[in-house]
Amino acid sequence: MFGPLGLSLAPYVQSSRTLSKWITPVANWYVNAAGYRKYGFKYDDILVEENPTVQRALTRLTPREKYDRAYRLKRASQASVLHAPLPKELWITEAEDVRYLRPHVEEVAKEEEERKKWDNLIVQRK
Amino acid sequence: MLAARASSTRNVQRLARSFATVVDTTGVKVAAVDYNQPTSSVTILVKAGSRFEPKKGVANALKNFAFKSTTKRSTIGTVRESDLYGGVLTSSLGREHLALTAEFLRADAPFFVDVLSSFITSARFTRHEFEEYVTPLVEADTEAVSHDSATQAIEAAHALAFRSGLGSSLFSPAHSGLTVEDVKAFAATAFSKGNIAVLGTGIDQGTLSGLVEKAFANAAASNEATTPTSKYFGGETRLEASSGPQTVFFGFGTAGAPVPEVAALAAYLSPTPSVKWSKGLSPLAAVPEGTSVQTIYLPYSDASLFGLLVQGSTAAGVKEASKVAVAALKAAAKGIKAEELKSAVAKAKFAAASAADTREGLVNVLGSKILSGSPATLDATLSSLDSVKATGFSKTATSLISAKPTYVVVGDSHALPYADELGL
Repeated sequence: MFGPLGLSLAPYVQSSRTLSKWITPVANWYVNAAGYRKYGFKYDDILVEENPTVQRALTRLTPREKYDRAYRLKRASQASVLHAPLPKELWITEAEDVRYLRPHVEEVAKEEEERKKWDNLIVQRK
Repeated sequence: MLAARASSTRNVQRLARSFATVVDTTGVKVAAVDYNQPTSSVTILVKAGSRFEPKKGVANALKNFAFKSTTKRSTIGTVRESDLYGGVLTSSLGREHLALTAEFLRADAPFFVDVLSSFITSARFTRHEFEEYVTPLVEADTEAVSHDSATQAIEAAHALAFRSGLGSSLFSPAHSGLTVEDVKAFAATAFSKGNIAVLGTGIDQGTLSGLVEKAFANAAASNEATTPTSKYFGGETRLEASSGPQTVFFGFGTAGAPVPEVAALAAYLSPTPSVKWSKGLSPLAAVPEGTSVQTIYLPYSDASLFGLLVQGSTAAGVKEASKVAVAALKAAAKGIKAEELKSAVAKAKFAAASAADTREGLVNVLGSKILSGSPATLDATLSSLDSVKATGFSKTATSLISAKPTYVVVGDSHALPYADELGL
């Protein structure tokens, strides 16, 4: 529940049709209000990366994804220096805001979980 | 005399029951040998040796990819679970086959056959595993061979002798630019039922067939991998190496199925003494102190390479030893005495038979036979050696050395001799 991806109720909301119908517009408003897209970020760019799991997941990006991520981070720091969001044509749209890092983080977390399982295994003689 | 007869009949019986017949189980060839050993081993042989690789180094990368994650279990799961069962997993690459081997206690066969077969049927070939685990291993293999002059010489000799096919190296080039997609594509073509044989030792044929049948029930069935038949070319190359012994390899290849006469020639020249602390009676025993000569005889399914590998600490010594070796080879080709031929044949037969004693040897000796579906026994090899005659021997040896030589030097390439200086 408190994994490297943070707390999320999204699976529960998505499992219920009524709930997702009510919450999706609010969620979309919230994402836009958060303002990271105006600075040219994707959501996975601002994922907390100061932990070994995400660091390992970052090494698994393709060279192209790594380059693009670094570019977006630099562009956003420049925008921050200028105290202004990017021009509107550079904003990240909803279609561009894909979770490119999440599958890797999930896989690394799964591997760590499995390693923990094997490390603490109790073997019983049959 | 009675005792001698008794022991010889026992030997015959033992030979007769030594090797199992090859059974086709749902398109996969299965052979098992059981000597009642306390441990068993199962080897999956795949026609994915370096001669089949579409891009340099792919076969080596596939070898190093063995036992990584599959849809059934992850890499760590494979390692830890095999640890718990106490088994050993190895993968090895030859020019013709890739061999995946598991050695384990007899009761654990179902688990280990599953580990081996799941790599064949459902390996995931993930990009991060390729980059995190496989690439370092591929590079380590390449690095290790760059410090081993003998292996380097034999690799270069294969490239000269056969160019493509058998000529392609077992190792990846230093900067290969391989991607996981290359490995995946190679595995997809190689891992089909027609290309696979399973060889078990210390396991009952029926048990193994049952396990294999279950494991490969839904494996891809496609055509057998084929390559153009090998041709022999020959040539000369000189490789500079600053460390390691000075090395000269000269050899001759033949296209077509390996003939027993060449095996007998290799046994005749082989300077390995039969008794410890003696120099042996080989004509190559006269090489100067500080140098060594080895006979190299590498039979493949449709070609063979025979040669002598001379190594020593100084280039001058190696030059002298090479001259002795060339002279010995030429003298042998002119014909040898009947009793010398007899002992050479006996030596060759013993070498062929004792090679099948170890597990790796058994896989090497019987692997190609099992894949081609011919009976997996040594009888044919041994009886063909028995039929070697003095005339056939000198005829084969003469025609062998009349071909263009394959000549490789590794070391101080200015000081080491050229082929014409040795009279090749």
